[in-house]
Amino acid sequence: MEPNDRLSLDAWANPSSSCNGLPRKMSLENPSFTNFNLQQQEQKWDDTSILNYGIRIEPPFLEFNQASESEYLLSSTCNNQPKVLDQEDGLNNEALQTSKSLDWDPRTMLNNLSFLEQKIHHLQDLVHLIVGRKGQALGGHDQLVTQQQQLITADLTSIIVQLISTAGSLLPSVKHKLSTGPPNGQLGELLFPPLAGMNCVPQPQHGSGSVAVQPQCVTGSKVSDQCNQMDVTGSFGTEQNLSIEEHEMKEEEDADEGENLPPGSYDILQLEKEEILAPHTHFCTICGKGFKRDANLRMHMRGHGDEYKTPAALAKPNKESSSEPVIIKRYSCPFAGCKRNKDHKKFQPLKTILCVKNHYKRTHCDKSYICSRCNTKKFSVMADLKTHEKHCGKDKWLCSCGTTFSRKDKLFGHIALFQGHTPAIPLEETKGPSVSCDKMDGNEASNKSGNINFSFGSNAGSGAQNIIEVKEDGDDPASYFSPLSFDTCNFGGFHEFPRPTFDDSESSFSFLEAP
Amino acid sequence: MPTRSTPILSLLTEDLLIQVNEKLVQDSDRKKWRLICKEFHRVDSLARKTLRVLHVEFLLTLLKNYTNLHTLDLSVCPRIEDGTISLLLHHVDHSIWARNLKCLNLSRANGLKFAGLEMLVGACKGLESVDVSYCCGFGDREAAAISGCEGLRELRMDKCLGVGDVGLAKIVVGCGRLERLSLKWCMEISDLGVELLCKKCLELKFLDVSYLKVTSESLRSIASLPKLEDLAMVGCPYVNDVGLQFLEIGCPSLQKIDVARCDCVSSSGLSSLIGGHSGLLHIDAGHCFSEVSPTIVKCIQKLKNLNTIIIDGIQVSDTIFQTISSNCNSLIEIGLSKCEGVTNMGIIKLVSGCVNLKIINLTCCRSIADAAISAIANSCRNLLCLKLESCNMITGKSLEQLGLHCLLLEVLDLTDCCGINDRGLERLYRCSRILCLKLGLCTNISDKGLFYIASSCPELQELDLYRCQNIGDDGLAALSSGCKKLRKLNLSYCVEVTDKGTKSLGYLEELSDLELRGLDKITSVGLTALVTGCKRLIYLDLKHCEKIDDSGFQALAYYSRNLRQLNLSYCAITDMTLCMLMGNMTRLQDVDLVHLTNVTVEGFELVLRTCCFRIKKINIHTV
Repeated sequence: MEPNDRLSLDAWANPSSSCNGLPRKMSLENPSFTNFNLQQQEQKWDDTSILNYGIRIEPPFLEFNQASESEYLLSSTCNNQPKVLDQEDGLNNEALQTSKSLDWDPRTMLNNLSFLEQKIHHLQDLVHLIVGRKGQALGGHDQLVTQQQQLITADLTSIIVQLISTAGSLLPSVKHKLSTGPPNGQLGELLFPPLAGMNCVPQPQHGSGSVAVQPQCVTGSKVSDQCNQMDVTGSFGTEQNLSIEEHEMKEEEDADEGENLPPGSYDILQLEKEEILAPHTHFCTICGKGFKRDANLRMHMRGHGDEYKTPAALAKPNKESSSEPVIIKRYSCPFAGCKRNKDHKKFQPLKTILCVKNHYKRTHCDKSYICSRCNTKKFSVMADLKTHEKHCGKDKWLCSCGTTFSRKDKLFGHIALFQGHTPAIPLEETKGPSVSCDKMDGNEASNKSGNINFSFGSNAGSGAQNIIEVKEDGDDPASYFSPLSFDTCNFGGFHEFPRPTFDDSESSFSFLEAP
Repeated sequence: MPTRSTPILSLLTEDLLIQVNEKLVQDSDRKKWRLICKEFHRVDSLARKTLRVLHVEFLLTLLKNYTNLHTLDLSVCPRIEDGTISLLLHHVDHSIWARNLKCLNLSRANGLKFAGLEMLVGACKGLESVDVSYCCGFGDREAAAISGCEGLRELRMDKCLGVGDVGLAKIVVGCGRLERLSLKWCMEISDLGVELLCKKCLELKFLDVSYLKVTSESLRSIASLPKLEDLAMVGCPYVNDVGLQFLEIGCPSLQKIDVARCDCVSSSGLSSLIGGHSGLLHIDAGHCFSEVSPTIVKCIQKLKNLNTIIIDGIQVSDTIFQTISSNCNSLIEIGLSKCEGVTNMGIIKLVSGCVNLKIINLTCCRSIADAAISAIANSCRNLLCLKLESCNMITGKSLEQLGLHCLLLEVLDLTDCCGINDRGLERLYRCSRILCLKLGLCTNISDKGLFYIASSCPELQELDLYRCQNIGDDGLAALSSGCKKLRKLNLSYCVEVTDKGTKSLGYLEELSDLELRGLDKITSVGLTALVTGCKRLIYLDLKHCEKIDDSGFQALAYYSRNLRQLNLSYCAITDMTLCMLMGNMTRLQDVDLVHLTNVTVEGFELVLRTCCFRIKKINIHTV
């Protein structure tokens, strides 16, 4: 009697008398409550996992710092330089410079000298060539000759500059003077203009300036190569921020990625980090030196050539651009290894000085500006903080883990990434404002506030609430229907077999769809 | 009598009875079984797997009795609300009825909100299939409640207008094993939601994104679904050929594709899709592009297994029929509705190769004549469904051929074929399996034709006689004696029909949908006779039946308790009767009360007060 068995199975929990019903009902409610608790537990578990996640953000930094330190040790042993641990670069500039000026490396000196020797030989060859050609064609190509002359003068000046800088490293006092301006890397370029007092500034004069400019570039970069070697300590401190670099690339900087200028078609300028971090607003378009006042800049420009000495040039600028031949200028980040540094294999230049400033601060500097509203977000550029503060607290896209997003697609990307995370739905739109981060204190607080205002799992408190309500006045079932319909809710009357049929006949019409 | 029957029944043990009970297919048979005795009733309640509840008042009792349910259908049960659910869960032990429940149909359960849904889902742990289609008020919170069904495999959410990406994300994360999902008309869902869906639900076999504002980006994500077999994307205006190219290289198991009414899809996009999936069984490209291009024809050559091709509204030429005929020999269904360029020659070519065709839609192919139909009848002996609406050149000859050869025919649409007359219908005498016959606007049909139908089509379930003005009471009398299984009948504007005719309709016990528009010879007597007989009426249209007075409507109110949709526009009903009607009909959902000259404003107010809490749609428009 298999059906009978089944029947008895069915009947085990099916009490025949109505008085048994009540306690059983109670027991029935309990599981549902425990269920709910369980879900709460899960919920909490979720939260803690995220807390862990939040904590985990720190270690990579530490590790990285360690790594960089060890790397630093390595390089310092090579270079025989003392350890200078400058975490807050830019602030410790003075200390850095003094420490640098104190030591003198004969090997570097030798390097420089042999480089200069080569350079002079190279120049010698060039002059020989010119002499030979003069014999063949007399006064044939004036233009060519003047170009070659300029080439030579440019080379000579760069040699002089390097000679002086090499000599300067011997004398602490000279060195110090030099490094008050942008030091080392751009030394050649920086010192170039005042020394080449005559007409040896190549850029402004030629339409085909690139020919004349090139040697300068080459030498400049070579010098800076060496100088970078010497400058290892200086640039190292900033490397701790490398880990952030990838995430923090702002669109503003990426915007010029599409631009495909062939290398060499533009002039690369590299400002030193002291210059970048200095609170300057006026920058020399030729050498990149920064000034607080435009008047100071104009005074500085006099050193770049006679044309800047005219009263018109010294007056307040209005028509400056008209006479200038357009030479595209692009900027390089002084941070070695950075994609925006000109020595990087896939170098992508920065478009303006402002870009340089923002890029450098965002990627290679500490984030010292903290949002006062959420106390979590940090920024290195003041403008970024202000932009954030405009939106802070309005992150309306919330994940079940408590993380908030300002954009829906970011939330969905997050959900796609993590197993079990779901978007949280605000309980009611009107309660919205209380979600704001005003009283949040770090991650935990944000989690908590999320719990209050959002339902995380699908079975949030609301379901349980309803059950409680039902329990409280469950004696009067009719009250759950709308008041107008009580006539049909007289359940006692329908315990006999119902009069109408169960099934609508229309269902069997489905043959039309599925023959 | 009882003393005699007892020993026989004692021989039939319960397990035997259950086995017998399982053989019963028809609902009416099951009903008879239940009414035999208590023991049979008990066996039925044990064996019953599916339950469709009509009245909410019986829900609790029913669920107490039926303990082995697999499927619970509440789609036609009005007033399912959160309160109903909490009441249900606390008065009936849900560990019994919900134990085996796998399918739950909550279609059109607009009163249900997330709290109730959450309780229901929490009680029914084993749910595998949920239907919440046309719950227009459903939003993200309701979707979140549904996401509690971890084992969910099938979910229909058609026209859940409030469900957006967040709701979908909830479901996608909660129900990772989804295999079938319909998001038709969930207008808030965008590419983001679809992308997440395709990342999380890798088991998906069927997906419907029809009418969504998704772009080709969504198709890029959909293309990554490894098991997708069936993709419907009807009327996606932002999807273009680029999207179809994604599908070309993705979805290795794709069998069915529906790109109907996608305005930006061209024939080259479709041909690239076909090029990547030579195993396609089903293509629907209706109203997609204007013309069948040679590249498509070339692609179709590769589809050796094609079962169904629907190219409604596209200009065709005979070459495509030639191609299909010689390559797609297993074709079962072809849709050519409103196609220009369909000729007799083309159809003759088509059926010469595709002899397995069962469904042919030639709606509005106006140049089709008897020659084509004869060819179809001769070649396609298994024909089940033939639609010939507005094929004016069709005559009785076609029906003669069909009657001779297509004995399995179930659906025949001859709407607006003015060449059809009584003699033609006579020739159908061997088509005894016809279930659905549409003769609307066939003005040449008279009572005689109905005699033939009544005598040859005993299985008929649906008959459309819209504006067949020569139909009279005698024909209906014949119909009511011959076609006892008739469920849907349209007699609108058959102006000769009188009370006598409606009286005979009263013998059609299965009748559920009846349209009697504009029959101004019908009075209360006829209506009373009708409603006392047809207890299953669900939809009744009495618009412009102006002779019926209050006594008739009182009978309607008294007998037709199952009515769900009613049209009383332009009727002579008065205040009191209308109130009684609306108060009595507890299942009424949709009612038209336009231009009731005898009803006052106060009367309408009272009516609205009595029914506003349960009715879903009411049309009150007075001049």
